[in-house]
This record gives sequence, C-alpha cells and structure tokens, in this order.
Amino acid sequence: MSARQIAAQSLSRRSFLSALGGLAAIPVFSRSTLAASLIDRSAADNVPLFVSAFKSANGGFGIGILDDLGQVLARISLPGRGHGIAVSPHKDRFVAFARRPGTFAIVVRPFMSAEPEVITSDHGRHFYGHGCFSADGRLLYAVENDFAAARGVVGVFDVSGPETTKLGEIDTHGIGPHEVRLSLDGRTLIVANGGIETHPDKTREKLNLDTMTPSVVYLDAENGELQSKHELDRSLHQLSLRHMTLDANGRAWVGGQFEGSLSETPPLVAVFSRDELPKLLEIPGSVASQLQNYIGSVAANATGDVIATSAPRGGQTLFWEVASGAFLGTQMIADGCGVAPIDQGSFLISDGNGGLSFVGDAEEPAEILARPPGFSWDNHMAAFG
Amino acid sequence: MMRNLFFGFMAASMAFPAMAADFNKPIEQAITGYIRPATAEFAESASKLPAAVKAICAETTEATVEGLKSSFSETVRDYSRVHFLRFGPLLENDRLNRLSFLPDPRGTAQRQIRKIYAAHDESVLSLGSLQNKSVAVQSMTAFELIAFNKSTDVVLGEAGDNKDYTCGYALAIAENVAEIAGNLASDWADPNGFSKVLLSAGPENERFRSPTEALEAVFNSLVTGIIIAKDQDVLPALGSSEEKAKPRRFPYSRSGNSILYVSAELDGINDAVASMELKEYMSPDNQWIMDTLGFEFKNANNYLAQLQPPLRKTFGEEGSYNQAKALVVNLTAIQDMMGQEVAGALGLAGGFNALDGD
Repeated sequence: MSARQIAAQSLSRRSFLSALGGLAAIPVFSRSTLAASLIDRSAADNVPLFVSAFKSANGGFGIGILDDLGQVLARISLPGRGHGIAVSPHKDRFVAFARRPGTFAIVVRPFMSAEPEVITSDHGRHFYGHGCFSADGRLLYAVENDFAAARGVVGVFDVSGPETTKLGEIDTHGIGPHEVRLSLDGRTLIVANGGIETHPDKTREKLNLDTMTPSVVYLDAENGELQSKHELDRSLHQLSLRHMTLDANGRAWVGGQFEGSLSETPPLVAVFSRDELPKLLEIPGSVASQLQNYIGSVAANATGDVIATSAPRGGQTLFWEVASGAFLGTQMIADGCGVAPIDQGSFLISDGNGGLSFVGDAEEPAEILARPPGFSWDNHMAAFG
Repeated sequence: MMRNLFFGFMAASMAFPAMAADFNKPIEQAITGYIRPATAEFAESASKLPAAVKAICAETTEATVEGLKSSFSETVRDYSRVHFLRFGPLLENDRLNRLSFLPDPRGTAQRQIRKIYAAHDESVLSLGSLQNKSVAVQSMTAFELIAFNKSTDVVLGEAGDNKDYTCGYALAIAENVAEIAGNLASDWADPNGFSKVLLSAGPENERFRSPTEALEAVFNSLVTGIIIAKDQDVLPALGSSEEKAKPRRFPYSRSGNSILYVSAELDGINDAVASMELKEYMSPDNQWIMDTLGFEFKNANNYLAQLQPPLRKTFGEEGSYNQAKALVVNLTAIQDMMGQEVAGALGLAGGFNALDGD
C-alpha cells in the first residue's frame, strides 16, 4: 500500500472521529469534535492555535492542534512520523511534512470542511521535513533530497488550486537542506544545508561526515538564482546547520548539530544575513558542556527580539537577545524541543513527555500549562492562527 | 560529567548484551507486583467516595466531615500511586484527565465550574450527563474545588442555597471517579487486555516489536512520573524565591492533600521500580545503581516527612521552603539516575526528542 493510500485512509473523517474516541473522547473544549471542520473558526476566534507532530502512546503518529492552554483540540493521524509544519501567510491552512526520509506531506485546512490533501514526493526524491509558503500563499517550498545525485533541492508546489501540483525545483547548492524560510520581503528563500549526505536505502545513516560542508544559502525565490552562500570556517565543517528562524530584522538564526567529538564544545548558534559574514554566538561553558552539541529547534518570539534555541539532549532551552546577541539564560525542560511564539513576547515549548510549557521570562520558572496524556510532542511546533 | 556517564553507559550496555533476553519477566512482575494491586486499591478507595458524599450531604457531623476528608484523601493518594502509568488502560477514554485535570495553572476547571454554577447547569447532577461534559469538570480536581474552600476546610454539605446542587454534583463526580477507577482496575486485571499486549512483544505485535520496547514504555513512564513530580507538582509552588512561593500551586493543596499526593507518587514509582527487580538484568558493575536509587527515594521521603499539611497554611514556616528545595535537588538526582544510569545499564532508549532528533 502506498503512503498516499495509507494516509488517505487514516485521514478519513470517520477514522478521525474514532481516533478521537480512543484518546480524547471529550476534550476540555468540546467544540472541535462534532463540527464538520477540524476547528470551528468562530469558536476559535482570537484563540491562538499551535500545531505539532506527535507520537502517541499507542505507537501511532499524528499531528495535534492545540490551543494556548495546551489542550488538544483536534488530531490527525499520519502514516509515519511527522516533523516540521509550514503555516500559510493567511493562517488558513498548514502543511505537515513527514520526517526524513518520508515521502508524504499533508495540506490541512482546519477551518474548512475538507479532507486533508496528501502530497507525495516525486520518484527519486524524499522530503526533509520542512517547508514554507510564498508571501501570497500560492506556492509551497519544500526541501527535498535528490538522493541519486546527492544534492538538495527546493520543490516548488502550486497550492492555490483544489489539487497541489509540483511546478519545479530549485537547487540548494548543498547537501541535506533542512529548514527553509522566506525572507521578510518575500523574494528570497533562505536554506540551511545541513551538509550530511543520506540515502533512503541506508535509512538514516550519515555517509559523508569527514567531508560534510554545511552552508546557508540565499536563493532568488522567483528564478532560483544563488544570491549568496555562507559556510563556516573549515574547523567547523562538522557543525550541521539545520534549524532556522528569522528575527525582526530578517536575519537568520541557525541552530547546529555537531557531528564531531563530544569532547569538544563548538558554538552551536550562528546568525546569518545575505551580505554579511556569519556571526557565531557563544554559549557559556557551563551550559555548553551539557548540551551534547545538539540544537533541536529555533524560534523567534512574536516581536522578533528574542530567539529560543532548544537543546533536547541537554534538557534545556536557551534564549538570546536579538539586538545584542547576548545569551539571556536557559529553562530546564526535560526532552523539550518544539518551540513557538505565544502572546506578545513569550514562548510555548513542547516536550517528549507530553508537556506544554509557557516561558515568559528566562529568569522565572517555566509554567507547565498542560500535559495531554499519551502524547510525545515531536521536534517542532508552529504557531497557527 | 554527563558526557562521561553517557560513554560509560554505552560501554556497559555493549558489555552485557544478553540482558535483553528476558525483559518479559520484569514487565510481568510490574503488572502483577505493582500495577494490578495499585489499580485495585485505587478502585477500592474510589468506590467508597460516593457513600462519603451521601453521608455528609445527609447530615453534617464531625464524623461525616472526617469521613469525607479521609475518603477523598485515600482516593487522591491511591490515584497518585497510578497516575504515572501513562500507557494502555489509563489512556483509554481520556481516563487520566477525567480523573484528575492537572496541571491547571490558569484555572480552567474553576472557570468552567463558575459557568456551570452561574447557569445552574443540571447536567452535572447525574453521572451519565456529567460524562458528556468537559473533562475538567468531571474530575477529582473539580471535586476538590466544590467540596473544599480556599482554607482547606470541607464545605460540602454546609447549609446554603447551593447545598443540594453541590451535593448532587459532588456525588456525580464521585460516581464518575469510582466508575473510571473500577474500569481501570478491571482492564489491568484482564489477562487478555493490555497486559497481554505488553507481554506478547514481538514481530506479530503491532505495538511492541520487542520486549525491550515494551519495557521502555513501562520504564520511561516511571521516569516521566519523576519529571512530573518535580517540574509539575513541586517546582511551580516554589516560584523563583521563597518570597514568591505559591503553596496553592501544590497539587490538591485545597484539600490539604499535597504532601500525601507527592509522597504517594514517589512511593508508587519506587515500588513499581522495585517490583521489576531490575538488578538481575544489569552487569555486576552497574548493580550499585539500584541501591543508590533506593537511597535517593528514601531521602525524598525524609524531606516530605518534614513538611506539615496543609501546605497552604504551613509552607514557608520552619525551613519548609528549603526542605522542598532539597526535595527538588533530590528528584533531579532520581531523574538523572533513572533516565540515564538505570536506562543505560539496561540498554533502554530514553527521551523521544533527545534520542533520535533531526
């Protein structure tokens, strides 16, 4: 059975409701269960929503839609493990991607009475788990692996019609593109090429750790032209540049995962802009030694003046001031990884133990808002609506 | 420090590869030695709560007030001994949330209950219709809000306009809790139920492909239980300093049951770990870990024993804040020992995001 068939089956309205019956018979706010759409827009008006992939305690995978109190309003089952979420500029739909080397993505219009649409990657390609929309919401950009040629591409999809079609591809000028963001002016795609070669036949094996060369590239969104490419110093070639967000000034904050020796503590966070040299940020030594050289997610608060970088292997999330690049502090959240902006300047952090924590101030203890039973929140969470 | 330990565990697990052979045995011991008796005890104590509500609502005397208090305390205590079993039967039909709606730092249950009272919503007065309401208003969390006041006194059965309404609502919640607790116990007692799923791990089992995976589900839920005890049950009450402590944030502080609740969850986790007799699956070099873990649990008990209920009234007095701080340090040690050292010595995989990120 193809991924498309499995997903279509598991995404039927009936199975959605029966899945709800098994896990969240009567949610705190019962409005979402009986409405024809996943979320009743009028009821959800002004309620900030969040979307995240999860693994459920019964072993299945899915996408959960949460409110700002951490309550699960709706869930959609997936045929495999999900990863990143791309939210449309009009906040009327989102695309959830399979985790690499998955080949499916689903387009969800939660306020409409519509089945999620399943997109399957082309033959010879798989998704890397992240994507973003164009400024007008008509196009979807998805990072993909052209694994025979060991090169990264951005797949360009037309999502303006009833059915998604692939229009073409843009070369990312690197291997293992991971997160992609659209510049603030909507004209440039910024791609973090993680640099690690993988092949679906060898599942998640890393094939080129000795020679890997991660980069951050700026690509013309219209014609795919390479505008600029930044690589770190050769001594940091094993720092896989993977997750990324933009601050209020449009600079890209990138979190890395170091593939070299765990006895080293290289910088893990760097700031990029198209025409300037990358700036590496320093994590205080006592913190750095606890992180196992691994940043899982990078997110900006709503005002774009504070950046959060989660480090799930260190059980903590680090905060940075955009203006100065200063390290603001950390919050200990066991297995915390997904980070999304909430309220004016705060963050919501999800974790593998089901918890959803509100962090308004790096100095104050995180407030655990909810812990929906049976959910392990996966790497990323997106603010939606 | 952490890095060195990590390498240590890798080496240990590689040096003792045969241990995965019979992980069914500790799972079976956990089921028969801990989970079934603990869920049966919870069902037993919860089954008595409706009668205690009826008694105090029929006549408010010292005896009926004490009866209600002790019945609720026992129900909370025995729930606390099983709430960390976040797999299988406790997740069916949203049982966990319907038993206890925690955490609730923004007062969702209170807000929904206010609306129910404002509308004099009759649907909370019978079990069947209550079960169609929001999970937050069906739970022991809701029971505590309507049966106790802010000063930890019992108000259920007190004369007033809402007496009968509150009595009816409290009885429906008590029946709901008793029913769920009973179903939880019978589901666990069923040899063909989730126990079988846990004990029949293998290629034919859709949920657990190996006994190691099944043991991970059980063991990791205990580690999560420690994280919940520390991060969710104790830390929020401590605030950022002693001056900013918020004793109301301890779970079940309104009924004066916080110390009982936290003690019971830690005892429960300790008993569940002990039931599995994990030492025999560890190399001789690693077996000390279990002794040290037992010692740390004993320390946790000692810190809790020095706190006086109700914490809403006593917290902050006589060094209690520092006792609770020490408890947090101690729980961090337990979390690290279980999540890293014990898991490492058994060759079990831990944290979902930490394990195999992307």
